[in-house]
Amino acid sequence: MSKAATPSLSKYKTLTRAGIMEALTFRASYVISVLGNLVYLVVIYYLWKAIYASSNVDAVNGMTFSDTMIYLVLAAALGNFLETYLVWDIGYDIQTGRIVLNIIKPMDFQVYTFFNYSGKYLISFFTTFLPTFILVYLLTGGAIVIGINILFFMVGVILGLLINFCIDFFVATICLYTQSTWGINIMKEVIVMFVSGAVVPLAFFPEPLKTIVGYLPFQAIYNTPLQFLVNESLTVNKCIEMLLWQVFWMVLTLAASRLFWKKSLKIITVNGG
Amino acid sequence: MKKRGISYYLHIYGKILVQDIKSKMSYRADFIISMIGMLFVNISGFLVFWITFQNFPSIKGWNYNEILFLYGFSLVALTPAQLFFDNNWNLRHYVYSGDFIKYCFRPINVFFYFISETFDIKGLSQFLFGSATLIYAWNKLGLDFSIIILIKVILALITASLFMIAMINISAATCFWILGSVFILMLVNKIKDYARYPVSIYNSVFRFIFTFLIPIAFIAYYPSLAFLRQNDIPVLTYLSPVIGILFFYTSYKIWMKGASSYTGTGS
Repeated sequence: MSKAATPSLSKYKTLTRAGIMEALTFRASYVISVLGNLVYLVVIYYLWKAIYASSNVDAVNGMTFSDTMIYLVLAAALGNFLETYLVWDIGYDIQTGRIVLNIIKPMDFQVYTFFNYSGKYLISFFTTFLPTFILVYLLTGGAIVIGINILFFMVGVILGLLINFCIDFFVATICLYTQSTWGINIMKEVIVMFVSGAVVPLAFFPEPLKTIVGYLPFQAIYNTPLQFLVNESLTVNKCIEMLLWQVFWMVLTLAASRLFWKKSLKIITVNGG
Repeated sequence: MKKRGISYYLHIYGKILVQDIKSKMSYRADFIISMIGMLFVNISGFLVFWITFQNFPSIKGWNYNEILFLYGFSLVALTPAQLFFDNNWNLRHYVYSGDFIKYCFRPINVFFYFISETFDIKGLSQFLFGSATLIYAWNKLGLDFSIIILIKVILALITASLFMIAMINISAATCFWILGSVFILMLVNKIKDYARYPVSIYNSVFRFIFTFLIPIAFIAYYPSLAFLRQNDIPVLTYLSPVIGILFFYTSYKIWMKGASSYTGTGS
């Protein structure tokens, strides 16, 4: 490695490490989020049990009760893993004017932001998603097949994470214009969670809606990686096709968020400091 | 100190309210976007039920319109906590920074003064959406309607709202004693969304928890039974006004106890 490359790489590592330290400091938030997730699990378990009890058939739209549960539990775990409150943080930085301190750093702002959150991503993957996945795997007695699909899932999750990050970044940029954070953030959250199939599995969506949702980038965040995990009928070709779609969405959202940010930087106004 | 009447407090409330609305109006875009954001949340909740009932006939004997009734009822019942008691979310900032001391020096009730400072307008769009859902479900179910029934509904809604207000008060007040109080608020805020499901779906353990420990069953389920299951109204439905008032009073006492133990930060 050349001398110049080492410091430039180490700045990313430093950001990641700082993020890990930060995430480890806020343990109370972890305890409460685990508690919140447990309540959520209890509620969706009894809710869907009651819902399935009203149906005379076991599988509705190809989904049995345990399929639905596995899907929703993993979607919730994935949701916890991907939620970084990025829009919230950037919105706050814009309102307080602190954002200038980050913009003038000798590093691309979007790259800086990503690595700023990378430590948090790492920690929450190992503390929320992985334990949940292992628990679901053990509890369902191997309903999830472990094979090549895990590889697809890993790639799918990383692509989903990047798409989610770019959408978050795009939405955070809107805050530059509106000076509103709560409203923008909640709209994004509702759309992403609902249209990605994290609240109700996409398999249940009625026809015109299902097709429309299929053409949106949001389903590539949750639905695609989850399909790799739970849908055994997927062929390798189909998996590759889905991955390519994810790549397409990633490139598109990345380009859109970068372009939008670049255009918006010109209008930034910070009151004093 | 001279005891002051309710009209005095209403007068003060009006004055503070106008100031708050004026300052909100200076961020007009934020105001409009927040209203729309709230509407998004409510519509997505509705769509979840709509999609579910495209695939399934009922939830534990509750049909689509009855579930919409519960949903609309819970939204309206949650509105007062959102509209009038939202400043609870800021309490911890004032307490940790030391600014809370300013509230202690005024010759009016600390809880009243603090709470009256914020009127969260975006709660209005939830109120409208919730009322519309409730009226829609009411019509579809072909329930009777009269002035007496309307008064009953309003009383039931006010009773139900006390439970949410009390829960928010208590969770916000924890900041007087502990540091991580925001997470308790967030947890309660998340759990309140489950008030829209009938408590009869749970087993006895969780039914007990959601009735007596985290009383979200009183936000929509128990009061709605008075209108939807008129032949089989449980005792808890009749008792809910008493429990609600007691619970609210307890939360107020806890809040005030925290405020009176507040010593400031010395700055």
